[in-house]
Amino acid sequence: MTALPAILSTIIFFGSLALIFSEKINRSIVAIAGSVLMIGVGTLFNFYSEEAAIEAIDFNTLGLLMGMMILVAMLEPTGFFEYLAVLAARASEGKPIRLFFLLGSITTVLSMFLDNVTTVVLIAPVTILISEILGVSALPYLVTEALLSNTGGVATLVGDPPNVLIGSAAGLSFNDFLIYSLPIVLVSWAGALFLLKYLFKKELSKRPRRSKAVMKLNPAETLNHPETARKILIVLGGAILFFFVHHLLHIEPSLVALSAAAIALMWVQPDIHEVLNKVEWSVLLFFGSLFVMVGGLEHSGVLEMIVRLFDNATGISPVLFGVLVIWIVAALSAVVDNVPITIALIPVIKGLGETGMDIGPLWWALAFGAGFGGSGTIIGSSANIIVATLSEKTRTPITSALWVKRGLPVMLVTCTIASILFAIFYRWL
Amino acid sequence: MNITTCMKRHVVSITPDTMIHEAADIFVKKHIGLLPVVDKDDKPIGVIGMRDLLNLELPDFVNFVVDVDFVHDFGAVEDTRPPARTLNKKVKSLIRPIITVEEDAGLLRAYALMLQQNLHDILVVSKDGKLIGIASRVDVGVAILSSWTKVE
Repeated sequence: MTALPAILSTIIFFGSLALIFSEKINRSIVAIAGSVLMIGVGTLFNFYSEEAAIEAIDFNTLGLLMGMMILVAMLEPTGFFEYLAVLAARASEGKPIRLFFLLGSITTVLSMFLDNVTTVVLIAPVTILISEILGVSALPYLVTEALLSNTGGVATLVGDPPNVLIGSAAGLSFNDFLIYSLPIVLVSWAGALFLLKYLFKKELSKRPRRSKAVMKLNPAETLNHPETARKILIVLGGAILFFFVHHLLHIEPSLVALSAAAIALMWVQPDIHEVLNKVEWSVLLFFGSLFVMVGGLEHSGVLEMIVRLFDNATGISPVLFGVLVIWIVAALSAVVDNVPITIALIPVIKGLGETGMDIGPLWWALAFGAGFGGSGTIIGSSANIIVATLSEKTRTPITSALWVKRGLPVMLVTCTIASILFAIFYRWL
Repeated sequence: MNITTCMKRHVVSITPDTMIHEAADIFVKKHIGLLPVVDKDDKPIGVIGMRDLLNLELPDFVNFVVDVDFVHDFGAVEDTRPPARTLNKKVKSLIRPIITVEEDAGLLRAYALMLQQNLHDILVVSKDGKLIGIASRVDVGVAILSSWTKVE
């Protein structure tokens, strides 16, 4: 093999990444153009083909994401998310610390099963509402919601796109995540929660001016379509039950998610255009295009070279190597999108496995790094960006400086806890 | 018939240097919803609506939560008023661009403009651009309907 294919595919891939991270052109547009270029150049120089590109696409990931997106798109207009937030507000009786724990926990649990962005997009407006009628600042709650949804999402197979990618590539089941990831995430999450409570202690100790106002919020009135909400929640609950046993039934999680979406669509029969409009096709295309580009890198031999590079460096102990993976991936995820990082690193880790390394624990290291790293900066995760953008339209916007003071410590603490637990439980991972 | 037959000729107006609390005072005393802003030659340069002032204290969540019906008590935001710092600002930053009609404009044209631009009131200017009157939707509508009342 000559070096030319490797050079060309590297230029296309990293050129596309640079363009994506410069944010000058929409990331999906860049990815589509890059993947087409990869196939074109690959065909011309005989290292890639259309067939190989289609094989490179992980349809299991795309199916799982699409299924969950359809379910969420149907659940969103029912007002269920607002309902939960209002219940939390009433249960808090207007006490800031209690509200902080309740809203944080609800966001975490939702983001363990649903997309973080959707969770935050729907919880944040009600959070602003609750804070305003109480007469307290919304900032601690908003920042905490984004950070805890980043953290909580790492716990399950369906909680975060990197997990979906890792689970699919490594053949990890929903239960594998519950057994290996959830306990470590829970401890890290608790660390993040109490750290945030400490960092926001000044804001949270302020007494609300009108704590009784939240008791007059009527949760029932937030549910626009209670019957639809009930149906979708039943289907979603069923899907989660099937996630627990999907590996025993030898079916992929994507089939579970798509079946749930199909059943919900049949049962509710919503306006299909409205539902499909809410599905984030640009995200799915972005993922698909990245798979095609990384496939090109793989076929041109670049990933093999990287694997050899890492292989030489693994004179260090496997535990230390895993911890390094957590921190390097976290540092990268804090400044750039964690999806391309994950998609690019998956074949590298697989390659390391082929050289005889025990890569089982590395998958978890990758998941922790990609998930927890996103908390570090205001642009580190989509949830952070959503919350920040929303707050820009209020009288008290969240600044990048504030994020560094609150988010970075959370990233450092969660990564540290994860690293320690990773090292302790390495043998079992 | 043109717009001058139905417009109000005594227009209360302010200048860009008017303070927000002074503008509020005029809205209260005159019981009106719109104030034209004129330059020193009496030429209109914009308008300030009552809602532009009220929006200053509208809670942020109203922009995010589509239906606020379930919020039965606005709590802390219900009894806030802008700080002195805001009230002592000039109205300049709140001025909205205007749509005017000249004094020879027909009633239906004026009504159509108001409908399309979602205006409750329209300013009437003279040939040399000076503010000479203001007409509400009701003023214009009533003037148009007045020819419908007698069936021959």
